[in-house]
Amino acid sequence: MKRRRFLKLLTSILGVSALSAFTYPILRFLTPLKAKGKGESIIIAKREIPIEGAKDLVIGGVPAVLINRKDKGYIILSKVCTHLGCLVKYDKEKLLLICPCHAGSFDLEGNVVSGPPPKSLEKFQFRIEGDNVRIG
Amino acid sequence: MVQRIREWIEIRTGISELVRSQLIGYMVPRNINIFYSLGIVAFVAYIIQAITGIFLLIYYAPHEDHAFKSIQLIMNTVPYGWLFRLMHVVGSNLMVAVVFLHMLSVFFLQAYKKPRELTWVIGALMSLITLTFCLSGYLLPWSQLSYWATTIVTTMPTAFPVIGDFFTKLLRGGEQVSGVTLNRFFAVHVAFLPPLMLILFGIHIFLVCRIGFSSPPFGKVIEERKEWKEFRPESYPDGHPFYPYFFSKEAFMIFLYFLAMFFIISFAPALFLPADANTPADPLNTPEHVRPEWYFLAPYQMFKLIPNKFLGIILQITLVILFILWPFFDRLKENNILKRPRLLVLFLGVLSLWAVLTIWGSY
Ligand code: HEM
Ligand code: FES
Repeated sequence: MKRRRFLKLLTSILGVSALSAFTYPILRFLTPLKAKGKGESIIIAKREIPIEGAKDLVIGGVPAVLINRKDKGYIILSKVCTHLGCLVKYDKEKLLLICPCHAGSFDLEGNVVSGPPPKSLEKFQFRIEGDNVRIG
Repeated sequence: MVQRIREWIEIRTGISELVRSQLIGYMVPRNINIFYSLGIVAFVAYIIQAITGIFLLIYYAPHEDHAFKSIQLIMNTVPYGWLFRLMHVVGSNLMVAVVFLHMLSVFFLQAYKKPRELTWVIGALMSLITLTFCLSGYLLPWSQLSYWATTIVTTMPTAFPVIGDFFTKLLRGGEQVSGVTLNRFFAVHVAFLPPLMLILFGIHIFLVCRIGFSSPPFGKVIEERKEWKEFRPESYPDGHPFYPYFFSKEAFMIFLYFLAMFFIISFAPALFLPADANTPADPLNTPEHVRPEWYFLAPYQMFKLIPNKFLGIILQITLVILFILWPFFDRLKENNILKRPRLLVLFLGVLSLWAVLTIWGSY
């Protein structure tokens, strides 16, 4: 009986360690790959965007919008609504970013003006280089 | 705590009674040997294919423009993608080998004799499904090798007059192997065959459990075999309990299977992936020396050797039918193959013919 217990234990230990050796590869396998274009820089000519105009971009896989605000200059905001992830739209008349899903709205700083979103839109960094706006 | 969870489950399922009656109470013949565990190994091999296949599906793209690239991505970029791909590729070859061995040992032990004819027939169908799995999966990487090997195999039915052409077009979804073929084979490989295999496996294993294992016909034969006039489970007066006696043999063989798989993955990862498997498919350019996988070489060589294609294909179909229905052709009661010299010669003859054709076909 002792021998049988020993064999049982040995087999279980071997089996469990063999199977658990797969946990790490499986987790790594399932982690998302680096999004395309991450780390690449995007360059946009200033003249493409008139005052109060906007341009849609994708930065590291995240949809964003570059807005040329009157008097306050450029800003890049993520379009991903902080409520449940729909994409906001720039409304040129109202000068707001409005979410089509539950009517959340944000001002051109990205702050919540009304509706269910809990926090402001994410901002992206950029630099002005001569006639261009450069991201990343 | 553990004790309480156990009790909770026990009260609601009665598992321990099942274990007692089905595993410990299930008897196997005293002189059962390691060859009887090959069926379980084949099943485990199948489960490994299913799991690694599901993993591959996460990154594979079944489209002629993306299939090859997605496989490259899995091999080179996705962390451990190579591991799951190689397990799937090596596993497919090993599974065919295990199924062949299981079948050979069932034949050698004459375990298909009454009342186990149905078990054999279902098993034979499963071996054909295993090969269909291999055939359909082979095209999916959309490499030169897969493209041209599939072209060859799907041309073979055209040897059959009238319906042959139609059948080939049906397989390919067009005149040539194309993106349409890729999608057909993909559907067959991941959606059509798996449930079919599981159903057949269910029947196969149901029959084995219901009737009981056959006793090896060698050594001290226990008793005169009784005539089967009505259903009764096999009884082994001095048998062993399935668990742990036979279970440990099975566990050992499953470890061996993993050992073989990881030996190949570690020391010969390219064994089943020659250069043409790493070149994207080019429908306008046939590479040199295309030939099917090793398990198809014998029928392929036989097909090439017979000058009349129609005769060749008819012969092959006849052989497959003979194989599926074999228990109904061999109805003698004697189940010790060593006491049946002509059957033994036939068995060894077919084996050597297979080997010769395989070796011949690989040149
Ligand atoms: C897809 C592959 C297959 C799987 C997963 C499988 C599985 C199994 C299992 C688990 C057993 C019980 C244990 C044993 O005797 O090994 C078994 C028995 C059996 N198999 Fe298979 N099998 C397969 C293919 C085949 C083939 C190709 C044949 C023959 C053409 C076959 C014929 C039989 C017979 C006759 C038995 C009964 C053996 C006995 O009672 O002694 N099987 N199979
Ligand atoms: S997702 Fe934008 S308001 Fe709900």
